[in-house]
Amino acid sequence: MKFEHLLDELVSKRRKALDQGGPDKIQKQHEKGRLTARERIDRLLDKDSLFEFGMLACSDRPGMEEKTPADGIVTGFGMINGRQVGIIANDFTVLASSNSRVYSKKAKYIREQVVEKGLPLVWLGESGGGRLPDLQGARGIATLAGEGGSDRWIFSQYSHSRETPWTIGIMGPGNGVPMWQACLSDFVVQVKGSTLSVSGARALQKSIAATYTDEDMGGWKIHAEHTGITDKVAEDEEDCFRIIKTFLDYMPSNNTELPPRSSVSEGSGETMDSILDILPEKRTRAYNMYKIIRAVADIDSIFDLKESFGKTLITCLARIDGYVVGFVANQPMVNGGAMDTAALEKMMSFLCLCDSFNIPLIFLHDTPGFLVGREAELKKVGAKVTNALHALAQVSVPKISIIIRKSYGQASANMCGPGTGPDFVVSWPTGEAGFLDPEAAADVVYGALPDEERHNLTQEMLKDSSMYPLAQEYFIHDVIDPRQTRKYICNTLRLIRKSKTRGIGKHFLANWPTKF
Amino acid sequence: MRIEIAAPMPGTVAEILVDIGDKVEIDDELVVIEAMKMEIPVCSTTKGTIYDIRVKLKDKIETDQVLVVLE
Repeated sequence: MKFEHLLDELVSKRRKALDQGGPDKIQKQHEKGRLTARERIDRLLDKDSLFEFGMLACSDRPGMEEKTPADGIVTGFGMINGRQVGIIANDFTVLASSNSRVYSKKAKYIREQVVEKGLPLVWLGESGGGRLPDLQGARGIATLAGEGGSDRWIFSQYSHSRETPWTIGIMGPGNGVPMWQACLSDFVVQVKGSTLSVSGARALQKSIAATYTDEDMGGWKIHAEHTGITDKVAEDEEDCFRIIKTFLDYMPSNNTELPPRSSVSEGSGETMDSILDILPEKRTRAYNMYKIIRAVADIDSIFDLKESFGKTLITCLARIDGYVVGFVANQPMVNGGAMDTAALEKMMSFLCLCDSFNIPLIFLHDTPGFLVGREAELKKVGAKVTNALHALAQVSVPKISIIIRKSYGQASANMCGPGTGPDFVVSWPTGEAGFLDPEAAADVVYGALPDEERHNLTQEMLKDSSMYPLAQEYFIHDVIDPRQTRKYICNTLRLIRKSKTRGIGKHFLANWPTKF
Repeated sequence: MRIEIAAPMPGTVAEILVDIGDKVEIDDELVVIEAMKMEIPVCSTTKGTIYDIRVKLKDKIETDQVLVVLE
């Protein structure tokens, strides 16, 4: 055959790349219960859809060429449920997928291309950190992100302007690059057993004699419950792929498009008539706001984000009449719905996601205010409240605000109440508004009075909290029968889709910090 | 298998809505805690039978204190 020798050489080089770090390393990976980068890609992407770039790349350090197939990172494009995405997968079998110059060039190319071509990015992260000795010394650090010098290479690794949705699955140890990438990403899934931290425990044990484990510093509980960096926790790798695919179903490919509309699951909206059973008659009795969202949204369409972080507030994607929407809802079951600083951080993060990807926001109010006190002040509650409002002011996707029950004080504003530019704002007849919850206000105003007198005056104050005066003066657009809530939202969504912008926002929050 | 249902926050036991031996479903309200002028129901996280109730009315309780044990 013509060029037989040359073609054989090519085949052999490609085979070498497909062998990744070799059978021993692959076996080790499997023994840890983990897949290799290429196995992961096979399971994530539609069959045979990987269009790989940089398969023949390797380390630029003399003598390391043979030991670094693909330079420890598999990159390219592929399809997920028929839609094109960019893919980057750390190959832990090659030098623990530590990052160095050629690796960085490959990652940079895909990151830039997904933005230019308007495609989502999926990164499957697993890395031991920076590669040594490659990055050691003056030349090493100057070339940390690639070629160094007076170019702007480093920013390709540390910035994201939310033009396209970036997702990352943390599959194993995630030190260094996977951590930075998680902090830039719009959506982070952590597989149980994986860890995500700037530095690994081993390095710390040596440098500061620390005794914590990787799990203590960056296990899934740390990021799902304490830092809020992780949006979803996966039971295993298959679960992680499923979660990433589901998330992408809610996303447009880029910020110039609308999220795909789905068909409406049968039976959606059928429980609206029993929505009154969810809300207790007693105003001080808590209830589970998820039940309200479940009744209003299309069946099985709720996709919770940061479920275990800032639990006084729910942020979830969902569909109504097949359209993707984002719910920001107080959760009375946790602290009576009084928002804490974590809830405010979670809200900011969600506003950025929805504003960037043309998802209308639906605010469901039932909050007595913010959780205040010394602990809250130490956590900068004032700054968080102001920041969240500043973010809300810049949201340019449609905002639908529904007052379910309590909507008090500054918290009412943060929930997109009257005066903060909701495109649509209505209340249930159970809605209440005021500077403070009347019970708390009565303590301030009538605290010195005898109990009975104080009780009577509190009841007067409560009457004064009714939403009808707000409807009369058109501070709100209407008071609706709770059973009509889904229908009301459907009307607003139809109006939005038929409007000039069709609901595509101006993305003023695109450059808001990617983590909080 | 026994599953412990614990208090999500400190407060006072305001109501106990189940008895030992009762069958419950996911999301059924078991105990109501009074905290921050609110009555907050603690719900079952699973389907099962009430095996033990570890608190009584007006008890002051702490976060993560076990209220009810399900079987």
